[in-house]
Amino acid sequence: MTAESLQALLHSSPHVWRGGEIARVDARSSGYAALDVRLPGGGWPIGALVEIAPKTDGCGELRLTVPALKSWCQDGRSVAFVRPPHVPYAPALARCGMALSSLLWVAADSDEDGRWAAEQLLRDGAAAVLLWSAAREDRALRRLQLAAETGKACAFLYRPPSALNHSSPAAVRIALSAASDGAGMTLDLVKVRGGQPGKLVLPLNRPAT
Amino acid sequence: MLWVSVHLPHLAMELRQPEQPGALVVTDGSGARRRVVACNATALGAGIAIGMDAPSAMMREPELRMLDRSKANERRATLALASWAHQFTSDVCLDVTRWMVWLEIGSSLRYFNSLTALYKQISDGIERLGYTTSIGIAPTIEAAALLTKHPDVLPILNKSEIRGAVGLLPITGLEIGAKAIDQLHTTGLRTIEELLDVPSDALARRFGEGLPHYLQRLLGEQADVRRRHRAPAIYRRRFDFMEGVESVDGLLFPLRRVLQEFAGYLRGRDVAVQHLAVTLLHREGAETVLRLATSAPQRSASHLFALLREKLERTAIPDPVMAIQLSAGEFVEPRITQGDFFDDPHRENDNWSALLDKLRARLGAEAIRRLGLSDDHRPEKAWCVLSDEKGAAISADLPDRPLWFLSEPQQLNDLPQLLGTPERIEAGWWTGQDSSRDYYLARTDEGAHWWLFRDAGTNRWYLQGLWA
Repeated sequence: MTAESLQALLHSSPHVWRGGEIARVDARSSGYAALDVRLPGGGWPIGALVEIAPKTDGCGELRLTVPALKSWCQDGRSVAFVRPPHVPYAPALARCGMALSSLLWVAADSDEDGRWAAEQLLRDGAAAVLLWSAAREDRALRRLQLAAETGKACAFLYRPPSALNHSSPAAVRIALSAASDGAGMTLDLVKVRGGQPGKLVLPLNRPAT
Repeated sequence: MLWVSVHLPHLAMELRQPEQPGALVVTDGSGARRRVVACNATALGAGIAIGMDAPSAMMREPELRMLDRSKANERRATLALASWAHQFTSDVCLDVTRWMVWLEIGSSLRYFNSLTALYKQISDGIERLGYTTSIGIAPTIEAAALLTKHPDVLPILNKSEIRGAVGLLPITGLEIGAKAIDQLHTTGLRTIEELLDVPSDALARRFGEGLPHYLQRLLGEQADVRRRHRAPAIYRRRFDFMEGVESVDGLLFPLRRVLQEFAGYLRGRDVAVQHLAVTLLHREGAETVLRLATSAPQRSASHLFALLREKLERTAIPDPVMAIQLSAGEFVEPRITQGDFFDDPHRENDNWSALLDKLRARLGAEAIRRLGLSDDHRPEKAWCVLSDEKGAAISADLPDRPLWFLSEPQQLNDLPQLLGTPERIEAGWWTGQDSSRDYYLARTDEGAHWWLFRDAGTNRWYLQGLWA
């Protein structure tokens, strides 16, 4: 038996356990090749919690996730913004190619209501939920993680930078800031379960002037 | 004709809170004429029986609690059961004083697989409403009613079999009044057969025309003309409490029952709802109204219950609730669902609209938003919140704009570094303020990109958006 035929046999049978692949993670491309290679499964992990801590508003925090959101919308799936700090601006989203009809904006009054809504959406049908929350409690984060797992959805949790000093059950944790040359964003991958932590700079289309 | 008679023998008790500990009876009348009309298991165990007078009942159980019956509540419950029963047949009649509803199923039997299947659907449905029931099936209304008192007797399917089937039953089950039964007993009559052997004119002379007529209707020898119940065009169901209810938990049980009844009514009319109201009635005419609007037509009791429960739990109940009332007056065609097993996208849609309803119930309808575009060059008018599910078309020709927008521009005292050339946007004379703005891209020390404008009239600077 040749190596190729053995390989083919292994791949054709679902009953053969292949040690090297058990860590395979279901993922959705982030749209940034340099980031995808750092993430387990080659993209944003499905059924997991991703933390994003922007140093300041307006440093690329939405452009980081928009390419993946756009691809979900193209599949006819829904994505939700829960308690965003500002109005998600429809003309800009549409210009990025987002289908507005697949986008839900949940304007909850309290942080607790926001977390509750995010949980329901993750569990029951949204492909991805972007939640802005200041919650610190481990329990709150675990609930979101569990809801994402249950609904096979992607939970993006936007938090203040100070939150990164505390431990978290998130699969990916990113500190985000504007790159010093003003032409991109710097990602500090503080934690990447099954991937490569470390810093990288992603190019951003600078706004037209 | 084939009638299913549904009797609720413990209705008076089941409309009270039956799970209270201790011996409990519901009574009718006052003073010396106060009689037991319903008792709970503990009271029955103490030897108390329906029909017993109040002093005799007290003698058997000194700790006995006696509650007055609410005829209005019993009446409403029986009427609601009749509305619920329309899902099985259009031919329904009822007797509110006997706690009984009849369904003519002879013509609808072929829609159900068998009499056994239909019987099971009816009895399971009533159990879900929270009632104990006994059911009789016979070709005449009164024979069916009689069989509810004898659950061991098999259904009678032909008119000619009635006499043979009921002949050996005691006369105590007949609807001829306690006084007539006592008198017949003293003459030695025990069974229905013996009573039917007495000539009609002799019975009429002794007890009046009513008794022989009743026996003729029982056997189907005389037509039984009853007013048919018609499902109301506007649904209103009220449920009164014995004592004021202060907790949400106390409201949930009757709410669930009321919604189950309502779901039966909706199925009977083959309609669904998108709007309904639940009113909590307090003392002195005060009320709390909960309005529910669902995104898709609904007729599932459990779904409506989940939404109302969520709403109730978030509602401050200022005073004890004396009654609740469900009302709905607008009905729509139910959504047609095809192929429950294979039509997955459909089901997903249903789940999604159920989810949105749940979010609206807790956060308020205005918190759940869809974004749309408007054909307007002014930044604050170029977007909108869509009230319905309508999607917005993507315009091919949109200017570069920031992803975050500040609906109320924030005035700036210190300016960050401005980049490039400004874009002039005229506010337009129709706003009443004839001003124009120069929009700039700017970069802060932290590297964030801002969208600013200078008001040409006041020369002040404002932050309008962020390139997030």
